[in-house]
Amino acid sequence: MLSRVAENLYWMSRSIERADNLARLVMAHKNELLDATSALRGEFAWHPLLEVTSMGDENSSEDVVTYMVSSKDNPDSIINCIQLARENARAVRDQISEEMWLELNALWLDLKQIPETDTDRHSKICDMAIRSALQFRGIENSSLPRTDVWAFVQLGEYLERADKTSRIVDLPHFLPTHEVAAAWNTMLRACSATAEHRHRYGGEVDAASASTLLLFSTTFPRSVRFCVRMIDELLHQISGTSAGEYLNEAERATGALLARLNFSGVEEIGSMGLHEYVDSIQVDLNRIGYEIMERYFLLRKDAPPASAEDYVNSRMQAQASMQQQQQQQ
Amino acid sequence: MFGIQIAMSGAVKEQFENYAVEGFFDEAFSREESKCRPMYDGAVKYFSGLSDERMKSSLRSLERTFLKQGVTFTVYSDGQGTERIFPFDPFPRIIPADEWSMIDRGLRQRIKALNLFLKDIYSDRRILKEKIMPEELVKTSKHNRSELAGVKLPHDTYIHICGTDLIRDNDGRYCVLEDNGRCPSGVSYMLENRLAMKRTFPDLYRQLNVERVADYPRELLRMLRSVSPRQQDTPVCVLLTPGQYNSAYFEHTFLAQQMGIEIVEGRDLIVENERVYMHTTRGLVQVDVIYRRIDDDFLDPRFFRRDSTLGVPDLVKAYRAGNVTLVNAIGTGVADDKATYAYVPDMIRFYLSEEPILPNIETFLGSRPDELTYMIENMANLVVKAVDEAGGYGMLIGPAATSEEVADFREKVKSNPRGYIAQPVISLSRHPTFCDGDLEGRHIDLRPFVLTGEDTVVVPGGLTRVALRKGSLVVNSSQGGGSKDTWVLRETAAPTEA
Repeated sequence: MLSRVAENLYWMSRSIERADNLARLVMAHKNELLDATSALRGEFAWHPLLEVTSMGDENSSEDVVTYMVSSKDNPDSIINCIQLARENARAVRDQISEEMWLELNALWLDLKQIPETDTDRHSKICDMAIRSALQFRGIENSSLPRTDVWAFVQLGEYLERADKTSRIVDLPHFLPTHEVAAAWNTMLRACSATAEHRHRYGGEVDAASASTLLLFSTTFPRSVRFCVRMIDELLHQISGTSAGEYLNEAERATGALLARLNFSGVEEIGSMGLHEYVDSIQVDLNRIGYEIMERYFLLRKDAPPASAEDYVNSRMQAQASMQQQQQQQ
Repeated sequence: MFGIQIAMSGAVKEQFENYAVEGFFDEAFSREESKCRPMYDGAVKYFSGLSDERMKSSLRSLERTFLKQGVTFTVYSDGQGTERIFPFDPFPRIIPADEWSMIDRGLRQRIKALNLFLKDIYSDRRILKEKIMPEELVKTSKHNRSELAGVKLPHDTYIHICGTDLIRDNDGRYCVLEDNGRCPSGVSYMLENRLAMKRTFPDLYRQLNVERVADYPRELLRMLRSVSPRQQDTPVCVLLTPGQYNSAYFEHTFLAQQMGIEIVEGRDLIVENERVYMHTTRGLVQVDVIYRRIDDDFLDPRFFRRDSTLGVPDLVKAYRAGNVTLVNAIGTGVADDKATYAYVPDMIRFYLSEEPILPNIETFLGSRPDELTYMIENMANLVVKAVDEAGGYGMLIGPAATSEEVADFREKVKSNPRGYIAQPVISLSRHPTFCDGDLEGRHIDLRPFVLTGEDTVVVPGGLTRVALRKGSLVVNSSQGGGSKDTWVLRETAAPTEA
């Protein structure tokens, strides 16, 4: 498969997953705020979400919800993520199933129909993003052959999901102390894990049970450990290496993180603290993303960029400058 | 702009009764008695027998088919980059077998001469030495690539894919309007139009016994493989697109998908040791044949335009070394020059010792002093065209222009006579078309597609383009044109129902 095609598939999938997770987080937090005490009302009510998603922009004049959901200026806003997903899908239309393209295209067209003046606009965007992401995954699951196309789509999905779940688990760190207990509900809700938690632990939600479920469950499909195990399998499928061995740095980094999650998770949280532990998981996940890029997407003539983020930015700039000549032809 | 006209003012039967030929050459009805021509008999009976409701629902289903498939092109003039459907008319253009056999022979003759011409001017230059064509004309052609003279091409083919534009004049004579030998587009519409028509009017289609066009992608792939420089079982062929913001991007993905080959952008390719490779997740893979949908100028920033972000550095080196075949070859634009066009009949006589089967339109060249004088003096009655423009741009239709526009063009021609040609205004043939809620005559042309590699294949059919604005002679999609399916009838009688 062409490196560029693999990259488009991966970013299509990551972007739709990012939009989905953001929308879940916004909706869950919105719900929780209705019950919140005064310390979490007013202008700072939404700031914890900016912290958790690393989207902070102190200079933005837009209110935080607009900035996260529909801002044109925020490259990671839900709207921009969906647009990026559609553009990537369009570039590889011949590789994905027709229905996958139609779903993303329909979502994009539907979002444009919501008037700017609609007071319920943000909730509508979030609801549509969540529903459409679920449909997209369903279509993907029932229509894509299990080739490298599938593997790169899944890779984007699980890497983004692992990152977002780990960030969501970190939410309490950014809340006033007396709101922390409530935050565990928000977290579970944002990950669609409320029911699973209830089945497993009964009614009581506390730090230990919620974070154990979201970080270490081997069966819950949004837990970090579940996602990393999928990444590990997918990377081995792509390279043809047998399980437990590694052929490249992406596989090595993934294997190392998976071992951490498998064997020493709870003790590590005990000694490091949850926030520091989650931080170190995110460093590992970024490393995996960088190694995947270097191994599979980078062209020989490109100099290796300093970070995955630099790489994405330079790609987007190049894309913009090419657009004009593409139209001239 | 609209997709398909669904509103109707009267019953279909009445629309046929009120249809007027208005003195033009009409494809379906004879001029004298407005009598239906024999090959249109079935279609006219069929359409006039449809109930209003059936016709409306058929049109709706056609429109849905196109929207769903995303058969769109992109218009950038509105600043939005809007994706639109290419307007489509359901009344098929019908060509009987004997007419088509003449067109087929004419196109083969022409492509043979054009390829011999290109080989000649990039090697021995016999046609110039023997003064059949002025050397100056070739030298000054904007798309002349004499720096690439002497490159050996598989089967000596330069124009692998040709989209010749044919028109019929007032007497119904088929003439060549242009030879599109660079990157002709539109073939995906021919294929999608056919699919949509078969789905919507299967009974009519079956009744008429129409030649297949669906083999085009397979023939195209066979041709691409036949010009591979490497002798191996399955040569690696790719389609090089400018990218997803190009107006014809739909066609690029469509063709790549139909042929099952990779669609690549310039940045996916790299040249090493004068060989072209594509970057894949499993490393570099050598590429043998590139079906490029990018102009010469943008192909290689080290050789042509330095600012090109769409090309591949050193691609020309690999091409020169004979390690990769470009389809179409570099430098075919010389044959596309509208002044070169005027010499094609002479080429046919010179290279093939035959008389042209398909005539040219009478053409006056700015580069010939006496014809220049005629052009200047009679501009208001002529069609004047810039030699290197396409898509209906850079032209003046004298009788339809204001006196300022004519004066303006006169100055342009005087300051650059080599850059212009003129032709008499040809009243293109008309075809019954469902428009503005009625059946009316609209002017049409025909773009058949000719593939040449080891051998030549002429697809029986093509894209019939329609000037949808009443009275308009311009059929280009960028200027309000639409299309029709083109049905070439088989020689044999239709199979009878069992």
